[in-house]
Amino acid sequence: MTDEIAPMLRSAKGKRPSFYETPGLDQMMSMIMVLAGEVSVLADQVDLMQRVAAEKGLDLAGGMKTITLDQDALEAREARRQAMLDRLFYLMRKEAAEAEAQETSEGYSQVIADIAKG
Amino acid sequence: MLNTFQQADHGVLPEATPEEAARQEFVKSLKHFIQQGILPGLGPVYRTRAAERFEKEAGRAPADRHDIRKAMVPDTYFQHYAAVNRISQELLWDSVIDSIDREGDALIERTAAATAANAGELRIAEGFEVPRYVSSLDIHCMPGGYVGRPGHDDLRLGALYDRGVFLYAMGYTGPDNDDMGRSVCHYIKARLKGFSPKRILDLGCTVGHSTLPYKELFPEAEVWGVDVGGPMVRFAHARAGAMGLDVNFAQMNAEKVDFPDGHFDLVVSHILLHETSGKAMPQIFRECHRLLAPGGYMIHADLPPFDPMDPFTQFILDNETYYNNEPFWGAMRELDQVKLARDAGFPAETIRFDTAPMAVMMFAQSEAAGYSAEASESVAERDFVAGEFAPGGGWEVLIAQKQD
Repeated sequence: MTDEIAPMLRSAKGKRPSFYETPGLDQMMSMIMVLAGEVSVLADQVDLMQRVAAEKGLDLAGGMKTITLDQDALEAREARRQAMLDRLFYLMRKEAAEAEAQETSEGYSQVIADIAKG
Repeated sequence: MLNTFQQADHGVLPEATPEEAARQEFVKSLKHFIQQGILPGLGPVYRTRAAERFEKEAGRAPADRHDIRKAMVPDTYFQHYAAVNRISQELLWDSVIDSIDREGDALIERTAAATAANAGELRIAEGFEVPRYVSSLDIHCMPGGYVGRPGHDDLRLGALYDRGVFLYAMGYTGPDNDDMGRSVCHYIKARLKGFSPKRILDLGCTVGHSTLPYKELFPEAEVWGVDVGGPMVRFAHARAGAMGLDVNFAQMNAEKVDFPDGHFDLVVSHILLHETSGKAMPQIFRECHRLLAPGGYMIHADLPPFDPMDPFTQFILDNETYYNNEPFWGAMRELDQVKLARDAGFPAETIRFDTAPMAVMMFAQSEAAGYSAEASESVAERDFVAGEFAPGGGWEVLIAQKQD
């Protein structure tokens, strides 16, 4: 019978206000908030894992405090953090590369015009 | 203060997986942060750069809440505040709908069993006409609103409201969302000594959050909750059954309640009036007068009028009008409620505004989950801050007595 029930509505009636003049920024902020929420959900899940493990006699939280990270672990973690920051700031990387290559919007339009001709 | 307030399960609350629960908790935390961490900055931002910019452009200082709005809307700080506030509201409903959709008809089956346990009546009107002030927007941005839409009007909307309101209020109204009703009951016992109502009517009761304390504190009374939302009263009836209380619910409009003259000796409402309209509100006051027996009381717990507030406070409060689908929120606060009561026939000397102290400390005393003494105290003892949920200390009530 479950599949006969209509899913709940997801949109509220009433025009949604815009808060920013820059187009797209409202959507962007909502995405940031959703992602912040998911980060928070993950943190809660880790917390839950530790507590469930503790109930079963496995002190994950204590072990996490006392473990000594060996060289491999230190390198793997630092590489992951740098890669994450690299992904986070990919648009700045692109901007710097464009400056270096002196790429401009005008230049891009020129390429389109040139290629159309031959 | 760390807000750890938890809603009590009563058997017909949507069940959340750990992941869904974490998403719901996040929204509650986000709302708390907006109030504690972002809202306080609006004052300084206004007093410094926003007011200055307005003055430079308009050649005069902002005079009222409308001017302040014009000054603040272009300011980035305000934009972030208002945007995140709105987003938190949208995420709130979404996080609960996830649970309801996943549960499917298990929730509906649970409510059917619970409603059978409530010996009180449930009246659903055929061809009921929903007033425009409820049907034209989904109030609080809750998808489907109080009445739903064709094919989407089952009582799960009541379950959505029940869980959603707890998160919206961040638990300030107690593990059963009933602080307003509970506070008014205590007010009656403390201030209207000797008054023991036999028939009680709660107008605009939604899922009966505030209705049930009346049955609990006046167990001999016949208690009715009415609301225009069919899904709300159907869920209210089940919820009362799940909580072991025999309370009657009916789909009715507070403007024209289907009971005879003088039938009740207490007519109450909780945060109803600001969701009606300029025409409906005076009519509701007249209807209260008609429904009351001589000597009976009318008590409305709602928003205090704008009148004694400074324009900046008014501006903050009025954001709900613009950003949370609350079309009557601002206009209601400009009405002279004492005059409305007088015009409805209540003797002038019986009409007054008063404060019903919040019952939140009782939740801490009863050791409800998450209601630490410290957190409860900080909710109960705060000063009124515009933009925070609920005034500090107590609820504003308008009270009037019908001529004996």
